[in-house]
Amino acid sequence: MQPFLIQLLNGVQLSMLVFLLAVGLTLIFGLMNILNLAHGAFFTMGAYFGLVVANKTGSFWLALLIGPLLPFAAGFVLQFFVLQPLAQRGRSTHLDLALLTFGLLFATAGAVEYIYGSAFHSIVTPDLLKGRVALLGIEYPIYRLFITAVGIAIAIALVLVIDRTLVGATLRAGVDNREMVTALGININVLFALVFGFGSALAGFAGVVSAPVMSIYSSMGIGIVVTTFVVVVVGGLGNLKGSFYASLIVGMTDTFAQAYLPEAELFAIYILLIAVMIFRPQGLFGAVGRVA
Amino acid sequence: MSALEIRNLRKAFGGLQVISDLDLKVPSGQRHAVIGPNGAGKTTLFNIITGWQPPTSGEILIQGIPVQQGRPDLVTRGGLSRSFQKNMLLESVTVLENLRVACQAFDASRHSVFRSCWSFADVVRKAHFAAEQMHLDTVLHRNVNELSYGQKRQLEVAIALCAEPKILLMDEPAAGTSPDERASLIKLINGLSPELTILLVEHDMDVVFAICDIITVLSYGRVLATGTKDQIQSNPQVIEAYLGQHHA
Amino acid sequence: MSADAILSSEEGVGALKRLATPVSRRAYAALFALFAVGLCALPSFVSGYVTTLAVEVMIAGVFASGINLLTGYTGLVSLGQAMFLGFGGYGIAIGTALLGWPLWISAPVTLVVVAAIAAAIGAICTRTRGVEFLLITLAFSQMFYGAAIKLRWTNGSDGMTGIPRPDLSLLGVSADNPTVFYYYVLVVAVLSLLMLWRIVTSPFGSVLVGIRENERRMMSMGYAVANYKIGSFALAAVICAVAGILQSQYTYFVNPDAMSWQMSGEGVLMVIIGGANVILGPFVGAAVFVVVKQALSMITEEYNLFFGIFFMLVVAFFRGGVLGSISTLIGKRK
Repeated sequence: MQPFLIQLLNGVQLSMLVFLLAVGLTLIFGLMNILNLAHGAFFTMGAYFGLVVANKTGSFWLALLIGPLLPFAAGFVLQFFVLQPLAQRGRSTHLDLALLTFGLLFATAGAVEYIYGSAFHSIVTPDLLKGRVALLGIEYPIYRLFITAVGIAIAIALVLVIDRTLVGATLRAGVDNREMVTALGININVLFALVFGFGSALAGFAGVVSAPVMSIYSSMGIGIVVTTFVVVVVGGLGNLKGSFYASLIVGMTDTFAQAYLPEAELFAIYILLIAVMIFRPQGLFGAVGRVA
Repeated sequence: MSALEIRNLRKAFGGLQVISDLDLKVPSGQRHAVIGPNGAGKTTLFNIITGWQPPTSGEILIQGIPVQQGRPDLVTRGGLSRSFQKNMLLESVTVLENLRVACQAFDASRHSVFRSCWSFADVVRKAHFAAEQMHLDTVLHRNVNELSYGQKRQLEVAIALCAEPKILLMDEPAAGTSPDERASLIKLINGLSPELTILLVEHDMDVVFAICDIITVLSYGRVLATGTKDQIQSNPQVIEAYLGQHHA
Repeated sequence: MSADAILSSEEGVGALKRLATPVSRRAYAALFALFAVGLCALPSFVSGYVTTLAVEVMIAGVFASGINLLTGYTGLVSLGQAMFLGFGGYGIAIGTALLGWPLWISAPVTLVVVAAIAAAIGAICTRTRGVEFLLITLAFSQMFYGAAIKLRWTNGSDGMTGIPRPDLSLLGVSADNPTVFYYYVLVVAVLSLLMLWRIVTSPFGSVLVGIRENERRMMSMGYAVANYKIGSFALAAVICAVAGILQSQYTYFVNPDAMSWQMSGEGVLMVIIGGANVILGPFVGAAVFVVVKQALSMITEEYNLFFGIFFMLVVAFFRGGVLGSISTLIGKRK
């Protein structure tokens, strides 16, 4: 059994990966009150597209950069051409739209299976990040540290953008009063679609980034998305900071359960979810978005 | 013992003090209005009284018994029923069904899964009676979404009456009604049992003066004055707070 | 009227009300009687394939009816009802295979256990609403799905076989005979339907509808709303478990796929198609669904893809379900 420090670092790394997924989901919900049940599909999409790029160009970095572009486009299109018009036509309940994304989940599961079959693929770790580094008495894979660093960097960047920039303020205003924002000459539909695309791109990015340590396969989205849902509920739907802390909690719980109680690993995060639901149904850090 | 007593009520949302040191005693059978500009804390007061929101400090006593927070259903059981400012009706069923469900709330039959809900004649009878009280007996079998706005407001009050309350709280019952509908509503409310204590929030002073004996004026969460219509109208603090808004 | 596709209620019932003139009522009753006779005589005038298809429709209809109670009538949209389908099947599998109990003991025991578990799960889940409720029911069912795959004493992902059909030797027939099984399922389905109808028209049922329409007002009226939601959750679970028992008896086996999110999704779709809040809706939805699924699987292997697109189209465009759409058509002609 590996030393505690390695488990700790693994826990943080998993947390950051889950955070990348959770933040996209919670961003979309918090700003637009849409629960995208097909969020895992963008994770899968990013990974596969990154795989294609990596195979064609032989470069990991290009895959990382270009991979998320496909889920970005898909997310943008979905929001702008499907979800937004339906919401405006009077089918405004978020429940309807959530169910719609559930249908999308089916469709994407089928589509990926159809295009790629059930084989397992992988992307090779780039040379720059290969190997291990000596850290506090243990040796730890550099790539995993990279994932952790990227996750934290994105977290900080997001908080800064949403709280401190004009774009963030416009977004927050748009959720509160879209007519007003539109009257100010801002195309709120495009803005929302961009956010949706961005949240989906984050999921896709997580897909590419995780490829060297996890396999790429057709149902990879499903496994991690339930963990993501748990994080989002525990952190409070729509609460960005909450999802960061919740990612840490869930990631650590999962890693340590896997290490010390392998039989109970599956249940560890569900028990966490149940406990939170019993004692604080609005999430540990409070829900910010409107619940349908 | 007053029907409704509020002691030292305070409510703050974070740093914003919405209600401060509010004391109110409403004796049984009184028709009492609470008025004040928007933001004075009237709806918050109602939410606290009916258990939808907890006070920061202070006590609410209904017929001498303290209100248990977070349990609006128990507040209704305790004899205090409320009608809402925005219609809170069961939209896709009939008027009669709305009333029947409301009258069923304290009937032992409400747990039953073995018989048709219409076989409980007592409850149905009470529903019919409530409809008559609020002149809704002609539209009993219409769906709620087919009613006029004024009729919906009547139903809103009728549902609150089904709980056979000792105290009736009405949150702007005349909101959005036409003059005819308003007159009708006033007549119906005045026709209710004189033993019923009524606490009313209203902006429309016609309605207030037509129904209520005693008026409490709220401003920024504090009681400015309590008294009869004449007392209030000649109170300098009230005039100052209401400059320009006073009913001429 | 609520804008939700699956919560739009009155179009279906409204259509029936509009048929209330004496002539139409008689015509409607005659049609219904004809249909009932047809159902009873079905196996004698159609092929074995159609009979088994009818069995699948009825089982799916019972499952969808359970979902309808929770979703259509109480307004709680759950994406996890398949877990109770699985509980039903696994319940009798464990009872008969592992504990050696006869079916007439393991079936009722299963339903009682399901009710208890559902009450516990419901007590937790109903603390949330709307999309959060959706998520948490999904999470619960995924948890049980994972457990079913992992647990060794229920054979993990291989599932359990040898599920017994009811012993009808007292009646001189064998339930292994497809025709006999059809009648068994028909009886159970009709009984379930009657039970559901009774629940929905009872005082308890009227409270559920009220909760769907305006939960806050119901609390204001004096109802302890939380208890009713839990009750609805538990009853719906039991009905889904009955379907699970039938399903496992139909195929003689049960495996974790019965508890998958796909299964939950299929059930919700059936309710939407057939019209939520209408008693027969789930069966109509089940019929449409099973037939379309059969047709699709003959054309293509990519069932999930087309199913997903179909699901999205239905949610986007079907207001009030098939029955609702029909009644709108009738209404327009008048």
